[in-house]
Amino acid sequence: MTIDIYFEDLPVGKIIEFGGKWVTREEIIDFAQEFDPQPHHLDDEAAKESILGGLSASGWHTCAMMMRMLVDGLARRAASMGSPGIEEVRWMKPVRPGDVLKMRGEVVGARVSKSRPDMGIVDIVWALFNQREQVALMRATGLYGVRHPQAGGVA
Amino acid sequence: MYWEDVELGVTTQLGAYTFREGEMIEFSRAYDPQPFHIDREAAKASFYGGIIASGWHVCAIWMKLMIASSEARRNADADEPRAGVSPGFLDLRWLKPTRPGMTLHYDSTTHEKIELKSRQDIGLIRTLNLAVDDNGETVMSFTGQGFWPRRPKE
Repeated sequence: MTIDIYFEDLPVGKIIEFGGKWVTREEIIDFAQEFDPQPHHLDDEAAKESILGGLSASGWHTCAMMMRMLVDGLARRAASMGSPGIEEVRWMKPVRPGDVLKMRGEVVGARVSKSRPDMGIVDIVWALFNQREQVALMRATGLYGVRHPQAGGVA
Repeated sequence: MYWEDVELGVTTQLGAYTFREGEMIEFSRAYDPQPFHIDREAAKASFYGGIIASGWHVCAIWMKLMIASSEARRNADADEPRAGVSPGFLDLRWLKPTRPGMTLHYDSTTHEKIELKSRQDIGLIRTLNLAVDDNGETVMSFTGQGFWPRRPKE
């Protein structure tokens, strides 16, 4: 695994795109059975009667799938140091079996940590799309190693 | 029970959950395969000094306990509402790492009621949700949101 993305490579305005995640019925039901056993995530008939109008992924499953795309598309290559949190997630449209998901992120904030000059703090607004439309939004903060720390550090 | 009946400032204990290393790694292999979540040696050498749970795993357990708690209350009282549909959440913070063997205690407090200009039949309830460790320190927090049916107008 080559680390070639550092804080300096994620300036404000940078656009990042990746994805191609195919969502299966089996994984929607597996995740829901373990973590979110509500009828609209588990059962086609019950889901049809619900406000969502058909089987759909748990919102937390959608977040987990976004995370996996983020790891494969960005974090694996980046000097990633984890995340202190997520400002906002909007579940806008249901994620259904057979959907193919893509992510598009725009860097909206980037600053070097005052207390740890080897660490950069990057805010990215991610849009999640299926083959038709945007289905979710996630505004997330990530920590990335600085390539040329002014003092000490691990980068 | 309608949106109008929800009282603010009411805390519901959702229960406790002990994170085991095996299931932490299994979750992270599927959804968050960063070295400090899946590889003991790499985790030891990392910023975190050992394996930690994916923050999304800590959240998924909140959901699991929320559903179990809601079903238990419905079994005791059929008037208790089912968990509703959510438009998303706000201000999720992972404040401390969750390490193997740690037990987290989850709770949820009703926090804010919002009328929707666009819909007369549902309203929004915001909740403040915490996962706290055995020392009483907050490990994870977020503001949850759920739609509730409104009392039909006469």
